[in-house]
Amino acid sequence: MSDYILEMEHISKTFPGVKALDNVELKVKRGEVHALIGENGAGKSTLIKVLAGIHDADAGGKYLFEGEEADIHQPLDATLKGISIIYQDLSLFPNLSVAENIYIGRDSNKKPWKKINWKSMKDLAEKAMNELDMDIDLNKKVELLSIAQQQMIEIARALAFDSKLIVMDEPTSSLSSGEVEKLYKVIDTLKERGISVIFISHKLKELFRVSDRLTVLRDGQYVGTYGVNEINEQELIKLMVGREVVYERNTEKADIGEKMFEVNNFSKEGNFKDINFSLHKGEILAITGLVGSGRTELAQSIFGVNKADQGTIRLNGEDLTISSAEDAVKNGIAYIPEARQVQGLVLGQSVVNNMTLPVIDTLRNKFKLIDHNIEKNLTNQYIKSLDVRPSMPDMPADKLSGGNQQKVVIGKWLSAQPKLLIIDEPTNGIDIGAKTEIHKLLRRMVNEGIGVIMISSELPEVLSVSDRILVMSRGRIEGEMNTIDADQEKIMNIALDTEGEKDVGNSEVSDGKSHQEV
Amino acid sequence: MKFLLKQKEFSVLAIVVIISIILSFVSPVFLTVENWLDIIEGNAVIGILAIGMTLIIITSDIDVSVAALTTAVTVSIGYLFQFLPDSWISVVLIFLIAPLIGILLGSFNGLLVSKIKIPAIVVTLGTLNIFSGLVLYITNGNYINSTNFPDSFMAFSNIEIAGIPILIYLFALVAAGTWFILKYTLIGRSVLAIGGNAQSSVRVGINFEKVKMFVFSYMGFLAGIAAIAQTSYTSAIDPNGLAGLELTVIAAVVLGGANIHGGRGSIPGTLLGVLLLAIMQNGMILARIDTFWQNVVTGAIIVIAVSYDEINHRRNQEKLSNIDVKEAS
Repeated sequence: MSDYILEMEHISKTFPGVKALDNVELKVKRGEVHALIGENGAGKSTLIKVLAGIHDADAGGKYLFEGEEADIHQPLDATLKGISIIYQDLSLFPNLSVAENIYIGRDSNKKPWKKINWKSMKDLAEKAMNELDMDIDLNKKVELLSIAQQQMIEIARALAFDSKLIVMDEPTSSLSSGEVEKLYKVIDTLKERGISVIFISHKLKELFRVSDRLTVLRDGQYVGTYGVNEINEQELIKLMVGREVVYERNTEKADIGEKMFEVNNFSKEGNFKDINFSLHKGEILAITGLVGSGRTELAQSIFGVNKADQGTIRLNGEDLTISSAEDAVKNGIAYIPEARQVQGLVLGQSVVNNMTLPVIDTLRNKFKLIDHNIEKNLTNQYIKSLDVRPSMPDMPADKLSGGNQQKVVIGKWLSAQPKLLIIDEPTNGIDIGAKTEIHKLLRRMVNEGIGVIMISSELPEVLSVSDRILVMSRGRIEGEMNTIDADQEKIMNIALDTEGEKDVGNSEVSDGKSHQEV
Repeated sequence: MKFLLKQKEFSVLAIVVIISIILSFVSPVFLTVENWLDIIEGNAVIGILAIGMTLIIITSDIDVSVAALTTAVTVSIGYLFQFLPDSWISVVLIFLIAPLIGILLGSFNGLLVSKIKIPAIVVTLGTLNIFSGLVLYITNGNYINSTNFPDSFMAFSNIEIAGIPILIYLFALVAAGTWFILKYTLIGRSVLAIGGNAQSSVRVGINFEKVKMFVFSYMGFLAGIAAIAQTSYTSAIDPNGLAGLELTVIAAVVLGGANIHGGRGSIPGTLLGVLLLAIMQNGMILARIDTFWQNVVTGAIIVIAVSYDEINHRRNQEKLSNIDVKEAS
């Protein structure tokens, strides 16, 4: 019998236009805790989805489980073979009881009329709970449990399935420190029973604490597998960020003017804490950090959609009270969210209708009806200045490419003539040519006197576009530097820093690339 | 949670009791056994359909074609009766054929929803028109009376066991059977799972399409049973008799605590929902209130009950997320 429970080699996965995995390897021994690490978008999620049977890998890869060809093409195959995946957003049924949640899926391959034996279901659930030393009422509905308890239910389910390999995707991201300790203990128990665990996390200290070996991915490629004793945190960070640089570094010192915008003592429980920063005329400020570090929540709070508990903001020397997005827009703050398709655009509608949406009430004629001529002129003006292609105002927005959609969103907010623009992951999911254009556009706005704050987790982008960088970690700004003095390692060091117990309980779940979820 | 759910059904039960008490003062007839048997028998068709609808709503879909589908089966029954001999075999045959036709029509809905993935409201609005259009074309909108019905079927309709009409037994059987399916079978569990969290259910290997197919076919099956009940109850076939009934059916299910967003709903709840609508109507008739006002009151009750439920649910969710944040920080 092979030493390895899982052997994946030469695994590649191509999506239309993207090679998400390129010749990746992951080999896990029996009874070991194996960490899988990499930056956002390094390919961890995709690899796990191949492992789980949600995606089939491209032909030519080798995927052995317990020494045999895995032949896993759908989630059920994996489950029946003894592979359990505990996703970050969990796979529980809030409307069903604890016992049912633990048992569910066991008989998915059986006849639909098969009778469920409640007694044996509860016995099984109870046994799994006992093994984990958990005490939760089996009849309780899962929606009434805390996140930590729900996670234990998932682990209990994996045990009930006699899983030999359990994958935990960022299991500690929404746990308190006490709960994390408990989880470690459970992982130790699993190990003792010879169960292998793949542990995905961004918290390096945690990885060194729980895992035996670790595999590093970067940009969809395999970097290497190391024993935890053979490597230290610094070396690990170097391996993670050695990303190909596709942009030119920003080496010019910005011509910084007066302070135009400041945020003081901003806090929101569970999201971010003690945020203080300012933005000067003529600079692009980047806020970076890992997914879940509180960047997006902060932006949304400034914009008024996720109201902060305390703190003040000043724009051009004026104190603002913002309690809704409407207030923000009135005061000249624009926010372009990350998921622009969902939040930023009315996709089925024309470019015109999208672009003029924020200002539509100023485009009315004397009968208070919308004046289509003014509307079209305004749109054409932005189409021209932003170089939206094709330059057809009546085209439905969803027929445009990602880059041009983003231009429409930017145009939409420019039409509102904002004083401050906050843009979240401006080039996520658009092609490289369009990325550079968007970057130029941001610079042009700054030159025209608009304040720009860019949130991005793509470090080369941050280093290329911004003038100053704030690094967030666990809801706080942990570092600030001028872009000319910064490099990827410096940033990652701060972003990954896990010292202390100042977790504010973030629980963001998506990592940008996981939009093609099951 | 079981406690909470019970509480929820309990609140419907409480309203039923309160209204019953009020109505017993309004009319001495209300609280008699005969009146209650009348109420239940008269609402057996709605009840049977509401039970099927419960499963559909739990999976967060909806079927507005049920009334038209049931009518289509009743019309088929009417035509079949011309060829069936006057014997008990005819009754048995009807109990085989009517559900079969129902399943056929229901699975057509299911096919469009699960395979082509058209939203159920659109699919069933379409089939609602197809079914009722075809029915009107075939019948010319004419009423079919019982002269051609086999005597055996008429005899079946009049059976009473222990003083209780056969339709009530049929209704009870459907309710018990469906309750059993939901609680004790894999497919029932899958229905609840899909409604609770569709993505998770795919991850644990539940076949989404199959379950959708099942709920719509099962709705068709029960529409077939309801068609027999309707034919037996009215001793006639009226191509327009059930028009608009789908709204009452959906209202009963929602009143019974099923959530239109899916995941929540139960057979006892639905039965109480049906009962609530039924006694309201019965009471208002006994109290000689205009039908116009009956509709207004029924509508108001639905809106109030659903708003209450939605607010309550949100409050619970908020309480829960507070706990999470507190525990985590």
